[in-house]
Amino acid sequence: MSLVFERYERQYCELSANLSKKCTSPNALDDGEQKKQKLSDIKSGVEEAEALVKKMDLEARSLPPNVKSSLLVKLREYKSDLNNFKTEVKRITSGNLNATARDELLEAGRADTLTASADQRSRLMMSTERLGRSTDRVKDSRRTMLETEEIGVSILQDLHGQRQSLLRAHETLHAVDDNVGKSKKILTAMTRRMNRNKWTIGAIITVLVLAIILILYFKLTR
Amino acid sequence: MGDHLVRAEEFEKKAEKKLNGWGIFGSKYEDAADLLEKAANSYKLAKSWDQAGKAYLKLADCHLKSDSKHDAANAYAEAAKCYKKVDTNEAASCLERAVNIFCEIGRLNMAARYYKEIAEYYESDQKLEQAIAYFEKAAEFFQNEEVTTSANQCNLKVAQYAAQLEQYEKAITIYEEIARHSLNNNLLKYSVKGYLLTAGMCHLCKADVVSITNALEKYQDLDPTFSGTRECKFLADLASAIDEEDIAKFTDVVKEFDSMTPLDSWKTTMLLRVKEKLKAKELEEDDLT
Repeated sequence: MSLVFERYERQYCELSANLSKKCTSPNALDDGEQKKQKLSDIKSGVEEAEALVKKMDLEARSLPPNVKSSLLVKLREYKSDLNNFKTEVKRITSGNLNATARDELLEAGRADTLTASADQRSRLMMSTERLGRSTDRVKDSRRTMLETEEIGVSILQDLHGQRQSLLRAHETLHAVDDNVGKSKKILTAMTRRMNRNKWTIGAIITVLVLAIILILYFKLTR
Repeated sequence: MGDHLVRAEEFEKKAEKKLNGWGIFGSKYEDAADLLEKAANSYKLAKSWDQAGKAYLKLADCHLKSDSKHDAANAYAEAAKCYKKVDTNEAASCLERAVNIFCEIGRLNMAARYYKEIAEYYESDQKLEQAIAYFEKAAEFFQNEEVTTSANQCNLKVAQYAAQLEQYEKAITIYEEIARHSLNNNLLKYSVKGYLLTAGMCHLCKADVVSITNALEKYQDLDPTFSGTRECKFLADLASAIDEEDIAKFTDVVKEFDSMTPLDSWKTTMLLRVKEKLKAKELEEDDLT
């Protein structure tokens, strides 16, 4: 496996040597066409190098840990070299706008400040954007909080109403309790009266029957 | 459905016969009442609300003759419920009769609740004056029965509609009263600022700048936390905008408040009225100068 890695490594070293040579040469004066061609060469070279680095990365990660750490260190170096190449390319492309040496020099200087100020501007805009977004989020959360407060208030009002209904139901139940007690007493009184009436009528009937028997008896024995 | 109609008509005819004929032991009213109730139920199932309402009315009559006022009142209430789907005026008159009977029996609670219902019918029909009258009566009854929440609710509706009909004084007194009442109650004190805001807006609609400043001071006395709330700032800003007669500032203040808590339709109507008055005043001044 590390053979593959070494192969990639060798390819990368060749490429990087090529690229560094190519990068230094366009700084010498050339006319537009050749410079553009060289630049495109360098760009393709950089892309190849990037692909190689990625492949090396994958290889390194698939290897056992002890070898992996050393390979990863190497990879990091290659990556930083690659980044340097890329910045060089950018500098050269931005510096490639004018043919004459003086313009190129000034252009290079201006390109630096341009890129620097462009960097600053983009950073400032990003931070302003972020601030704006966070202000919006804070406003939204405030709005939600106010809505929640309103809902809370209405819930409290409902609770108040329900509390009153419950208290009233409690009182009504007490009244019902009293009434049930009273009706129980009335019912027991009614049953007592009913029983009394039953016994009285029973007694009267017995007395009358006895009277009839007595009269018949006396009538029949005379 | 046809089945129910047929059955209902049968019941009704039987009840009529009982009523017109001679009953034994004078129990004809109760029997007739039973039959009529079944008839009315069947009409309800058959969805012929009109006939159901009429059946309930007859039922109520029977109960009245047999001296069971409670049942009569209930029957009137049921009739009103049936008529609600057809004709609100009829429903309102039924409920009124029911309420009268409840008052006679002394069930003021039910009376108050039915008054509130009548008021709601008129509200949905947009007959605001009558609605206000009934809400007031309902609130009175509820107050007598110590049911403060329902009383407050009815009073709130009264104030809302009074303000819509431009009876601002009445609305202001009611809102302030409710706010004072709610301060003492732990549960209700969070809604106080809402009430004070509406009262303040009524002051604004009266277009009397001195009164609004006095009112704001009074409210801050009433409720120490009021001065820190957004509502108080909103009112103060509105008052100053009206003072300076600056419509742009007015609109700005309203927009800002609206972005935080959307304003409901009542408040928007009120604020619109204030704005119109401002514009009118500005035009007036332009004419004079």
